[in-house]
Amino acid sequence: MPAANSTSPLPGAAPAVGVTVEGLSKRFGTFEVLRGVSFTVQPGEIFVLMGPSGSGKSVLLKHLVGLERPSAGQTTVAGLDGADPTTRERVRMALVFQAGALFNSLSVYDNLALYPREHRLGDEAAIRDRVMRALQILSLENAAHKFPAELSGGMKKRVAIARALVMEPQLLLYDEPTSELDPVMSATITEIIATLRQRYQVTSIVVSHDRDLALAIADRVGILMGGELIFLGPPADLRQPTDPRVADFLNPRIDLEHPRFKHLET
Amino acid sequence: MSTTSLSSPPAAVGTPSVTDRLLTWLPTPVFQVLHGTGSTLLLLARTLRHVPSLPRQFGRFIEQCHLIGYTTMPIVGILSFFIGSVLALQSGHAGENVGYKQFIGALVGLTMARELGPVMAAVLLAGRVGSAIAAELASMKVYQEVDALETMNIPPERMLVLPRIAAVLTMMPVLTIMADLVGWFGGAIVSQYTHFISIEPASYFANLRQYMDFGDVLNGLIKAEVFGLTVVLVCCNIGLNTRGGPREIGASVTRAVVTSLILILVLDFFVTKALM
Amino acid sequence: MTTNPQQTARVGLFFLLGMALIWVTYETLSGGKLWFKDKGYQLVAGFDSLKELKAGDDVRMAGVKIGDVALTRLAGRRAEAVLRIDSDKRIKADATATIVTQGLIGTGYVSIDLGTEAAPFLPAGGEIRTAATADLNSVMAQLGDLGRKLEGALGGLGTSLNGDSRQPGLLQKVDTILTENRENLSRTTANLQQITDKVNRGEGTLGRLLNDSRLHDELLAGVTELKQGATQARSFLANAEELVAEVKRGRGTLGALVYDQKAADDLKASLASLREVSEQLAQGRGTLGQLLKDDSLVRETRALLKKADRAIDNLDDTGPITAVGVVANGLF
Repeated sequence: MPAANSTSPLPGAAPAVGVTVEGLSKRFGTFEVLRGVSFTVQPGEIFVLMGPSGSGKSVLLKHLVGLERPSAGQTTVAGLDGADPTTRERVRMALVFQAGALFNSLSVYDNLALYPREHRLGDEAAIRDRVMRALQILSLENAAHKFPAELSGGMKKRVAIARALVMEPQLLLYDEPTSELDPVMSATITEIIATLRQRYQVTSIVVSHDRDLALAIADRVGILMGGELIFLGPPADLRQPTDPRVADFLNPRIDLEHPRFKHLET
Repeated sequence: MSTTSLSSPPAAVGTPSVTDRLLTWLPTPVFQVLHGTGSTLLLLARTLRHVPSLPRQFGRFIEQCHLIGYTTMPIVGILSFFIGSVLALQSGHAGENVGYKQFIGALVGLTMARELGPVMAAVLLAGRVGSAIAAELASMKVYQEVDALETMNIPPERMLVLPRIAAVLTMMPVLTIMADLVGWFGGAIVSQYTHFISIEPASYFANLRQYMDFGDVLNGLIKAEVFGLTVVLVCCNIGLNTRGGPREIGASVTRAVVTSLILILVLDFFVTKALM
Repeated sequence: MTTNPQQTARVGLFFLLGMALIWVTYETLSGGKLWFKDKGYQLVAGFDSLKELKAGDDVRMAGVKIGDVALTRLAGRRAEAVLRIDSDKRIKADATATIVTQGLIGTGYVSIDLGTEAAPFLPAGGEIRTAATADLNSVMAQLGDLGRKLEGALGGLGTSLNGDSRQPGLLQKVDTILTENRENLSRTTANLQQITDKVNRGEGTLGRLLNDSRLHDELLAGVTELKQGATQARSFLANAEELVAEVKRGRGTLGALVYDQKAADDLKASLASLREVSEQLAQGRGTLGQLLKDDSLVRETRALLKKADRAIDNLDDTGPITAVGVVANGLF
C-alpha cells in the first residue's frame, strides 16, 4: 500500500493525482467504441465527461481503472500505465458504479468495511472508526446495518460514494452518479461531489449527461460523441456552443413534426 | 488479470500469430471448449497464488464449508441410502438363480466406495452448490460487484474462489464417506428384509470386509476430491465470465451445471483408469 | 462479514464426524494395519507349469485365504510363483502347494495343505514343496507308462514261474519281484478294474468322451496293454495258488524242493501281501485307482468338452460374425 501518511483525517491524505488519456481506441469485435480520445485531467480538478448514451463514456472510465485494456493508445494515472494492474496497488482509485455495485450479501457497514479488512488497515476498532466517519460524511449512520436491497436508489448511490471514500482515494471516478434520481436527489449528489473535492482535494472525473451538474461544479467538460471527443473546455464555453452537435446535445429541441428517431441511422 | 477477455474468437489486431489465426478458424464449439478449459486452468493458477492469504479468508471458508458440507449432507444421505438399497435389490434379484447373492455385501460395498459414493456426492454438489456458486458469481459479475472488487484491489480469486475451493476440498471426503456408509447400510437393510435375499447384516458386512480394504475407500475419496475441485472451479469460472444482463445469469447457471455433470462423468473414467 | 459461531461449530462438528468415520472405516477394512495391504512375507513355489495361475490369484490354506500370488516368472527350466502370505499366517515346512484350477474361465488358486504338526515353519523367502496336480493329459501318459511297466514285470515273472520252476529259490525270487512291483501291481490292477468297468458299462466312456482320435488311440493302447497285464496277473495268481497247494501237500518237484518251514512261511507272507494287494485293488484304493475311481475328473472333462462342442456348433450355425458372442455364451 502507498500512502505512508495515512494518519490524517479521512479522505485526501495522499496527494491528488493527474490523469492523461492519449489516443485511446477501443474495439469490441468490429464495433469501435472509442476512436483516438485524448485529454488530461489536472490533480484536484473536477472533470465532467458528457455524451449521449452509448457514446463510450463508461468504457473510457473502465480503462482508467484497468478494467478494460485499450486496443490502441494509453491511459496514465499519476504517470503510471492504467492498463497495468499494479497501478491499482500504487494509486488508490475508487470507482462509484452507476448502479452502486454494492455487495448484496453484505450489510452497508460490511460493504464499507470490506476494503480496510481485506487490506488489513488496522484492527476492528480502527476500521469501525474509519467506516463510521465515511458514513457520517454522507449522513448515512442510520443505514449502517441495512442491506443494499432495503435501500432506495439515492441511498445506494450515497453508500457507493461512502464506500469509495473509505478507500481514501487519490482519484475518484463517478459513473452516472445522478442518473435515475429525482431532481432533488441529483442536486444532493452534485453537492456531495463538490464538497468532497473542496474538502479533500481529490481528483474527480464524473461521467454524466446531467447538464446541470456539469454547469454547476465542473472545472472542465469533455463531450464524447460516437467515440470521439467533440468538445473540451470550461463549462462557460458550453453556454455558447459553436459545434451544432454540442448545441443539439445540450439543448435538444423537441420537434413533434419531424421526430428525431425517424432520422436515426441505426 | 482482467476477466473481461474473450468469449468469442480474438479480434485481429495488428498481425495475428499463427496460433491465433488457427483459433479463428476453429468451429465455435471447439473454440469454446478450448476457451473454457484454458480459462478454468488459468483461474486455478491465479487462485493458487493467493493460497498464503487463506487464513484471512477463514470466515468465508467456514461459511462455504457450511454450505457445501453441512447443508448438502441430508440430500447426499437420502440419495446414497436408496442407491445402496437399489444396488442390493437389483443384484440380489439377478443373482438369485446364479448363486452369487452371498457376494452382495462386497458388490454394494465396492460399488458405493469406488464409484457411486463419490459420483453421487459430486453430482449433488454440482446441482446444489455448483448452481448456487454460478448464480452468485454471475450476478456479482452482472451487477458489477466483481468490477468493484477489482477497483478496490481485492482479487476476486482470493475472496470468491479460494475459500470455495478450500471448503470443497475439506468437505468432499466427509460427504463421500457418509455417502459410502449410508449406502452400505441401505444395502444391508434391504438384504436383510427382502425375502428372496435374506442375508443377515453380519454376513453382509463380513463379505464386504473380506473383499474390500481401505484402498478402495481411499480411491473413492481421491475421486471425490477431483470432482469437487472441478465442479467448484468450473462453476466459479462460468459465473465470473458471465457477460450481459440478468438473463445471462440463468444461462450461466444452466451451463455451469451441465458442464460440471459432463466433466464429472468424463473425469470419472480417466481418474478411475489412472487409479487402477 | 462476521461469522456466526454456531455455524463454525456446526462445520467443525461435521468435519470431525467425517474424519472419525473415515478412521473407523479404515480400522474396519484394513484392520489398523499400517498400510493398505499387509505386506506379509514371500514364499517361492516352483512348478513344471503354472497353468492358468496369474498374479493376484488367491493363496488358500485348507480353503482359507492367506495371501495371494505376487508374481509369476520363469526360472530356468521351471515356472515359479512368488506367493505373498499374510504375516500372521505361518506355513509348515512340509506343507505342499498345488495349483487348483476351477472351471473353464480359468480362475485358479494355489492351495497349500496344513502340513504336519511337528514340522518347523517355513522362513520368509523360503521355497515351499509343490506337487503337480493331475490333469487329463498327465493321467493318460501315466496310464500308458504303467501298463508297459507292468507288462514287462509280469512277463518276466511268468517266464520265471512257468519255464524255470525246477530251479530252487524261485519262490524267493517271486517274493522279491512281488515286493518290488507291489505298488505297480496295485495301481495297475485298480486302473484295469476301473477302465474295464467303464468299458463294459459304456463301451468306453472315456474313449467316446475324448473325441480326439489321438487320445482315443492312446487310451485303447493303454487298455490293451492293461488287459494283457491282467491276463498274466490272473495266470500268475492261479499258478501261485497251485504251487501253494502243492507245497502244502509236500508233493511235486517244487514241493519237494521247498520243504523247510521258513520257505513255507515266506511263501505264505508273499501270498498274504498278494491278497492284500488284490483286495485293495478291488476296493479301488491306491493313487491311480482312486484317481480313476473318483469320476470328478471325467465329469469335468465331459463338461468342458460339451461347452467346447456347443461353442463349435454355434460357430457352425451362425458364422464368424457373432463368434465372440458365441464364445462368451459358451464360457458362461
